[in-house]
Amino acid sequence: MTVELLSANHAAARAAALAGRANRAGRGFGGGVYPITPQTECIELLCRQEFEKGEIVRVESEHSAMAVCMGVSLGGARAFTASSSNGLAYMAENVVSAALYRLPIVMMAVNRTLGPPWNIWVDHGDTLMLRDAGWIQFYCEDNQEVADTILLAYRLAEDARVLLPVMVCQDAFVLSHTMMLTDLPSQEEVDAFLPPLELPHAVGGKPVTVGGLDFPHETEVHRREHHEAMLRVPAVYGEIQDEFERRFGRRPADRVEAYRMDDAEAVFVSMGTTASTAKAVVDAARERGVKAGSLRVRMFRPFPEDLLATWLRGRERVAVLDRDLCPGLGGVLWSEVRGVCPGSLVQNYMLGLGGGDIRPEHLEQVLDDLLARAAAGEPRIVEVG
Amino acid sequence: MRSEPLLCGLAQSEDDRPEPVLRAGNTNCGGCGMSIALNMFSRAIGRRRVQMVIPACCGIVTAGAYPFSAYGAPVVASTFASAAAVASGLARVARMNGEPTRVVAWAGDGGTYDIGMATVSAAAERNEDVLFVCYDNEIYGNTGGQRSSATPAGATTTTTPRGKELEKKDIVGILAAHRVPYCATVSLAHPEDALRKFQYALDAPGFRFLHVLSPCPTGWKSEPAEGIELVRLAIRAGLFPVYEVFDGFRTVINVEPELSPTALERYFALQGRFRKNAVDLGRIQEMIERNWKHLRARARDA
Amino acid sequence: MEIRLHGRGGQGGVTCAKILAAIYAREGKSVQTFGDYAGERSGAPVRAYTRVEDGRITNRNKVYRPDHLLVLDPTLLGDEVVTGLKPGGTLLINSPEPLETHRARFGAFRVAVVDATSIARAHGIGTRSVVIVNTTIAGAWAKVMNVPLDRVEEVYRDLGLLSNFPAARDAYESVRFDGAPRAADATAADAAAPPAELPKVEPLVEHRSSPPTPLKTGSWRTQTPVYTEHLAPCSAWCPAGNDAIGFVQALAREGEEQAAAVLGGTTPLAAVCGRVCPAPCMEGCNRAELDGAVNIRGIERWIADHVPVARRRPAACADSKRIAIVGSGPAGLSAAYQLALLGHAVTIFEGEDQLGGVLRTGIPTYRLPREVLDREIDAILALGVEARCGEFLSRERLAALAEEYDGLILATGLQKLRTLAVPGADLVGIEQGIRYLHRVNLEGGAPLSGEVFVLGGGNTAMDCARSALRSGADRVVVAYRRTRKEMPAIREEIEEAELEGIEIEELVAPVAFHGDGRVAEIEFAEVDLGEPDESGRRRPLISERTFRVPCDHVLLALGQSGDLSLLPEGWELAEDGRLVAPDRAPVAYAAGDLATGDGTVTHAIGSGRRAAGLLLRALGFEAEVFERPDRSKAVPVTDIRLDHFGRAAAAADRHLPVPERLNGFAEVNRGLADGLEAHRCFSCGHCTECDTCLVYCPEGIIRRRTERGYEVDYSYCKGCGICVTECPRSAMEMQSS
Repeated sequence: MTVELLSANHAAARAAALAGRANRAGRGFGGGVYPITPQTECIELLCRQEFEKGEIVRVESEHSAMAVCMGVSLGGARAFTASSSNGLAYMAENVVSAALYRLPIVMMAVNRTLGPPWNIWVDHGDTLMLRDAGWIQFYCEDNQEVADTILLAYRLAEDARVLLPVMVCQDAFVLSHTMMLTDLPSQEEVDAFLPPLELPHAVGGKPVTVGGLDFPHETEVHRREHHEAMLRVPAVYGEIQDEFERRFGRRPADRVEAYRMDDAEAVFVSMGTTASTAKAVVDAARERGVKAGSLRVRMFRPFPEDLLATWLRGRERVAVLDRDLCPGLGGVLWSEVRGVCPGSLVQNYMLGLGGGDIRPEHLEQVLDDLLARAAAGEPRIVEVG
Repeated sequence: MRSEPLLCGLAQSEDDRPEPVLRAGNTNCGGCGMSIALNMFSRAIGRRRVQMVIPACCGIVTAGAYPFSAYGAPVVASTFASAAAVASGLARVARMNGEPTRVVAWAGDGGTYDIGMATVSAAAERNEDVLFVCYDNEIYGNTGGQRSSATPAGATTTTTPRGKELEKKDIVGILAAHRVPYCATVSLAHPEDALRKFQYALDAPGFRFLHVLSPCPTGWKSEPAEGIELVRLAIRAGLFPVYEVFDGFRTVINVEPELSPTALERYFALQGRFRKNAVDLGRIQEMIERNWKHLRARARDA
Repeated sequence: MEIRLHGRGGQGGVTCAKILAAIYAREGKSVQTFGDYAGERSGAPVRAYTRVEDGRITNRNKVYRPDHLLVLDPTLLGDEVVTGLKPGGTLLINSPEPLETHRARFGAFRVAVVDATSIARAHGIGTRSVVIVNTTIAGAWAKVMNVPLDRVEEVYRDLGLLSNFPAARDAYESVRFDGAPRAADATAADAAAPPAELPKVEPLVEHRSSPPTPLKTGSWRTQTPVYTEHLAPCSAWCPAGNDAIGFVQALAREGEEQAAAVLGGTTPLAAVCGRVCPAPCMEGCNRAELDGAVNIRGIERWIADHVPVARRRPAACADSKRIAIVGSGPAGLSAAYQLALLGHAVTIFEGEDQLGGVLRTGIPTYRLPREVLDREIDAILALGVEARCGEFLSRERLAALAEEYDGLILATGLQKLRTLAVPGADLVGIEQGIRYLHRVNLEGGAPLSGEVFVLGGGNTAMDCARSALRSGADRVVVAYRRTRKEMPAIREEIEEAELEGIEIEELVAPVAFHGDGRVAEIEFAEVDLGEPDESGRRRPLISERTFRVPCDHVLLALGQSGDLSLLPEGWELAEDGRLVAPDRAPVAYAAGDLATGDGTVTHAIGSGRRAAGLLLRALGFEAEVFERPDRSKAVPVTDIRLDHFGRAAAAADRHLPVPERLNGFAEVNRGLADGLEAHRCFSCGHCTECDTCLVYCPEGIIRRRTERGYEVDYSYCKGCGICVTECPRSAMEMQSS
């Protein structure tokens, strides 16, 4: 185990390489890669890694990057790629395909504003656009979590009860280009944690057609299977948290991470690095006597409705902090959270769109606004500049 | 035997696959050129281990619905543009595991000339160990007959109701320009030549590209029984040159065309897609001669 | 009202449903029309629907309980198609069969029948295999449902289908149906079937192998390819009835033993025919169109020179007959051979001292070496045939033979020689060519010298000319009243004659011979050619323009005819060679030139074989009687896929160099160097198992049989017809399903 000062991009690449090498006893590792700011450093580092049994394919587009991953995965190997923003939009068709093929591909996605106009800074709109693609989605809060989540994502994706692709999301620059001390396990530890992939429906030599036509009834059944696999994720994830903790001595965060929620009456709900700021603001508010708390949605798909319902039950006020906007509706996170806590005042705030730097004072304003409200109003875009 | 078609063992033999690549019970139209190509290809494959990638096109619809398949080989049905990329992934896995699997992308003209162009080009440039076969029916057949960039000048399609004015792309020229180890056109009317090329292309390492003119009776509005004759006429007329290019340079012409205006006339007359518009055969003849001059120059220089 | 249509992909079922909807829309009804969309392609069964209501249509489901049903393709007809059709509803069927046939089967419905396929095909709508019947059958529907024709026309105009309206009108006029439209019996119908239990679906991640589809695409087929042997032109053209394609292919594929056996089935004289036949088979040969006819005659000779063809042993015959054959030319020998093979006791009567007839007396040895002839005759005699030579039979003796034997075949050839009724025809030095040849062939030679004129243009003329040249003549001229190309002689004989130095004088006719006791000059008239006569050749018109040429000998080769004066008193030659007598009914047939006058060895062989069959029939046997095949039924060259064949020049016979020929009567034509020429045969109409069908079958469902030939898996054959079109040799055909 080594602790290194790494950007989250590099942490992701290193974790992916560890996971990839761990499958050298299986059918190896591969993936298609294509650069896009702010993910590029990840695939650059990946391309500098040595693999005993691994092939990184430098493709011509994100669409093909995922296509190569599908080929790699269908061939029975472990697959990885990374992308961001418009790259994900371009990749979208194959993102959906990967899930529908039920392939345990892991993709690191750096959340970046969709353009044009062009903006390279953080916004969750890109991966939320893919929320219905059938992937498991994690949103990370710090560099260590990025690395750990990449590793456990393979364990989760490849679980026979799951067999779904996993998207590990991290905020552009705030994580991707920010270097922090990151603890990377040794290859032997990872080897022990990630046994060789055995994809039951890998393509071999037998006549099988993968991804051909489905008639309506077959589609009904296959969609149901997909849904049921998603519904099994929380339990499997729980097992993986335990094992990860046992092996690496730190427990990956729950699907919903609660902070000072015991008696909280006003709750921030957020994803990604916003949660860090929210925690600081909660601490400050508590010092002022405001019973504030924070929930971070770490696993957005499958949607942790159970945990959110539990945590939010009886809370008076909830501020859902979206770093995204669904024009004409409001925040995506809010639109899903609001149905979970029928008794609460749930107000939506959209902050830091286009990468604006969400500072504590912004969340304090939000908290003030929340506490002052008699009723929830229209979703609000809070300009942070 | 001078009086027999020179089939060179293309027909059933003990080296045949235990079952064909394209099984009976497929849903291709009767007389489908792609079906013929698949059957010839199947015989060429023999006992080799293959994995095929077929993008969204007639080639995958013909498989029929889950859980059945008209393919007697492992097939990945990929997204339309992605055949070459998915094939790259499979080929890499095969290579890193030291397996002799030959990965074949089998796509129509849409998945090659148009939506698949970037992917094919990139895989060619990377010299992936993939055989890419384009069965070119010169039309978007799967969607009911729209023009593609492989549709020849003069052809009526549902999106070129007054006939397409532009000539089709020189796809082999494009692929050859990638300096890939092997590019060739394949004539279904010359099974011995087809067999040789299929087998060579299956075994050669690196990226190989085969272009098969694949009659589509439905799209071409022609008699299903006359598909092979149409290929023959296209070759005699010089419309479809039969040649191969090694390493992007050495060009070998395999079948000498007659450049026969009679064959050209008949080729057009037998197809309803050319009938609605007055096709200027003189212009097409000029185009053919120009193309051949160019091709011969390349063959000579090589 | 709900209408369901059943058709095949490509037949335009959706458009048909739309036409019906448009018809009702014109009546102010609410309409809805749509098709089923799935993965199946051209030829696959598909459905389309039309819904018609007075009020607003809210039903968006497919039609499960139709009031009426249209079946666009008769091959779809089955219980499944009519499932759900309400009793009393109209069932309109596209079918060439009569109304009654369908009424008997679908009595619960009001049946209507129209042959839309024939109508649409006649109007050129669609392709041969996929005829588009939608616009046609819609016309029939209108009639059946009492829609006026002018409204149909309006609808076709609206829909831009006016060019197909004539077909609709034909269908409107020709549809046959029962009674007036009636409302379907809704009460009987409505117990909608409970939804079927949905089948279990295999989990996606457990799908590790895909079984073949259960789709039997053979149901898409409207026409069926079958392997059919067709008559090859070589065989059709052979007057002897030789299985020409049979022996050529046998040589190519199985070797000379088998090839000889094929030949021996029809002729005992293959080595003879292989030398002297004008080879009509080669005239018919389709390969002439590509790179020259196959040298079938050369092949026949090559086979027979290597393996005697008449090697079969006679069959045992419980009821063996005694048969007399008069004349031992090719017809007599052929008849003797066939009869002996069947176990009958044959006796040949021959006037000369040796058997062979014209083969021995007429044909010079440089064309037919006597050892070749003797070998084949010996093989016939080896079957137990008795020969009685040296006695020319009188009419009385002939009549007695008919009594003495169970049957008689008269094959005396053409004994009557055409003469020339011109001044000086009796001068010394003028001789019948046939007599001259007799002297040459049987009397130890007939030396002559000086200038020899041969009059005539047939094979006898050529034989005379070439024999004369070999017998000492200084110069030989063949004078013919027409031109070279009209000469009846075998082309090759003319060419060889000219090569040897024989001159040909065209368009001349002798009008007188001059000389003092012995001929010294011929007077020729120049001949003009007039209109074609019944033979198709231009009629020679003898002019007044004459000239004289000196000559020393004249050989007349003006033709021969049968001499019926040989027949016993009162006998007559009836049709088909039968010989009839006034007082009794002899079992007797004429054969060869006497019967037919065709004048070639090959004709004579066929005729002898036929006479043998007729005779046996007359004797009460179930004998096969050889019939000359109908040449018009032979595979035309347009049915041969020439593209499948590489070019290869015909193998030519080898010839003795001219200087060596003229020293004597050595055989000029030395035949083929080997039997490889057989491989040039297209095998017209006869499958050679070349695999072309198999290689081009898009479905991959043609397989080699363990024994010979192929089998088609018809449960999957879509009937595209490529196998038939691509068959290089027309050994297949499409039949209507």
